Amino acid sequence: MLEIRNLRKSYGRNLAVDEVSFFVPDGQIGILLGPNGAGKSTIIKSIAGLLRYQGQIGIQEIPARQLEAKRIFGYVPEIPAMFEALTVREHIEYIRKAYASSITDEEVEALLERFELKDKQDKLGNELSKGMMQKVSICCALAIRPKVILLDEPMVGLDPRAIKELKETVRELRDQGVTVLISTHMLEMVEDLWDVMFVMEKGKIIGSYRKSEAGEKDLDDLFFEMTGGDEK
Amino acid sequence: MKALLYVTKRSLMNNLKRAVRKPATLFLILFCIGYAIFLIQIGITAARKLRFDSAKGLVVLVTIWALYVFFADFLSYASKKGVLFKKGQTHFVFPAPISPKLVLVYSAWMNYIFSVGVNLLFAIAGATVFGVAWWKMVLFFFLGCGLEIVLECSTMVILYTNEQIPAKVLKGICIGIKVFLIGITLLIVYYFWKNGITLETVFAFFDWKILQIIPVVGWNIALYRLLLLGPTMLNAICSVLYIGCAVILFAAAFRMKCGGGYYEEAAKFADDYAEMRKRSKNGEMVMGIGKKKRKFRKVEGEFSAHGARAVFYRQLLEYKKEKYFIFSKMTLTSLFLAAIMSFVMRSAAQKTGHPELFLLGVLAYVTLCMTGYLGKWETELKNPYLFLIPDSPFKKIWYATLMEHVKALADGILICVPVGFVWGIRPVYVVQCILIYTVLQANKLYLKVIAQWMVGELLGKTGQELIRGLMQMVILGLGAGIAVLVGLLIDPDLVFPILLIYSLIVTTLVGLLAAIRFDSMEQMV
Repeated sequence: MLEIRNLRKSYGRNLAVDEVSFFVPDGQIGILLGPNGAGKSTIIKSIAGLLRYQGQIGIQEIPARQLEAKRIFGYVPEIPAMFEALTVREHIEYIRKAYASSITDEEVEALLERFELKDKQDKLGNELSKGMMQKVSICCALAIRPKVILLDEPMVGLDPRAIKELKETVRELRDQGVTVLISTHMLEMVEDLWDVMFVMEKGKIIGSYRKSEAGEKDLDDLFFEMTGGDEK
Repeated sequence: MKALLYVTKRSLMNNLKRAVRKPATLFLILFCIGYAIFLIQIGITAARKLRFDSAKGLVVLVTIWALYVFFADFLSYASKKGVLFKKGQTHFVFPAPISPKLVLVYSAWMNYIFSVGVNLLFAIAGATVFGVAWWKMVLFFFLGCGLEIVLECSTMVILYTNEQIPAKVLKGICIGIKVFLIGITLLIVYYFWKNGITLETVFAFFDWKILQIIPVVGWNIALYRLLLLGPTMLNAICSVLYIGCAVILFAAAFRMKCGGGYYEEAAKFADDYAEMRKRSKNGEMVMGIGKKKRKFRKVEGEFSAHGARAVFYRQLLEYKKEKYFIFSKMTLTSLFLAAIMSFVMRSAAQKTGHPELFLLGVLAYVTLCMTGYLGKWETELKNPYLFLIPDSPFKKIWYATLMEHVKALADGILICVPVGFVWGIRPVYVVQCILIYTVLQANKLYLKVIAQWMVGELLGKTGQELIRGLMQMVILGLGAGIAVLVGLLIDPDLVFPILLIYSLIVTTLVGLLAAIRFDSMEQMV
């Protein structure tokens, strides 16, 4: 589970996230929606421990800054950045060592196969295209065997097949009881994926919905209903 | 830690493999090693010739090293710019279950390697060149180097990861460190101001007792003196203070709690560092990491231009929005260099009897050897809109670089007028020098385009610059040869006009050739 309580983050005088609280239970997919500059990435970076913040963030009820929490937490940033002189395979090896991951060689092979990286596994980080970096980033996050995984705009730069694989992977993770949080502003990409949604605007959560509460309404309707935008 | 060591080990191996595959890199490494050996050999010979090869001589060297390390470490750590963070770390290391303190200490591994390398060199040189006993140099290496690294790590951890002291207090401490460093500098300046700069006062400076009393750095110097020259009351007390200081700082750093709050600044540093590397790779002269957000002036008025002329007017608009129009830090640097050059080289230039030719030589050197900075024109070639403009390639190259010619003219005036005035050069020559400088800069610019077009990224920016320099040297060398011949055989007054006309013709031809690059985005390589 992922729990955020009274999260507050400002950059100088600019308040980016204002008293945000939400909760994503085990085995559910949460989506964080909002226009550019709403504060989604700030929340994601705070959860990943990359920013100073006020408030509490809990991963499986453990404070996010503690090493025990980090051990079960996977993160796919919006813009992947590789170790320039490490091959794709070595990135996964690093993850196995850093997280003491129990993933086997066969599972790593399958993961690379699934995201079409098998023939690229000896390529160095600085030889990869943006899309390939994103695939490596996803594979590394999955190699952790996380209990909570965070995906920040994960579909950007991916080819259609990789998007399909990623969606399937996310569903499989949910079925295994993993908590998933996806931050995006591309509504159509997560239309058929979510269990609980949070809509952000100007650093605040302006509304949330559970899939069961949505009825016949699709994601677009719910989003524009909350943000007041006139989509159609 | 195992994971971090794995990254370092594999990165080193892969870089080495890549270097072996690239003969140019391998050649560069071998050249650097050879050059280092050559410098060491020169140093040893000089030390022996100057009778510097005693323990006292080594004390002078290690004192300079101690002062350098202290200033470099404290200044960079107090500014939080001493540890190199890379973007890959932001992605894969900061969110990982690795102690943030360990991440910090690991990230500065290059600094320790450098310290160990220099101390090892001192230890070997001490025993072989400076005639110090082996056991003393072994002790020097382990104690000196060990304490230096302990102190460096502890300072770094305290200044970066402290989450208990309020941010404002920590900022105050960092300012205090900088004030302390300024204080030491003033003390050194005061010493030389009072005693003058002679060989005797310089040597006496290293024996100056007050130097050993300065907290931390002075105590460090005292420890070196204790090890190399033997004990005195002063160096013994100061050495104990140094060891005590290192132990206290280490204990404080070890006990300090750190949740990784510094990752925020580290991630920002990684972004800035990546940006700096990108700019530097593009051939730009980068003077620092992490620039402040640039502010632009509001510009009133409109411009109307069609075709390639629009590129010039857009650049003009961009420059008008800049705080100092076409002038920048580089203008100030040029002016400063011109002022220094005017006085330092005055007698040498006037001795030749032809200071105008001397100035011409300086201008040729500046044009040929200085890479300079990127103007707005160089980004034009990366902009696909340039190639879509319905106009001829020659007009495109002319209007895309016209502003650079104006800038070169302004720089030429800034360099030539003060130098001409101080050296007593006739105004007619000064004017011709300015024009020749402007044309030479244009020549350089067009040859740069041709070099880029010919070799692309195959040889990198350095390779492109080398090829550009070679081409320019051949072309201009020919012109200079003709001008000198005419000057010697017919009339010396013809040298300047011939050079100007020759450079103009050659530059126009080179410009026409470079215009091909403005026809299509595709390069030859």
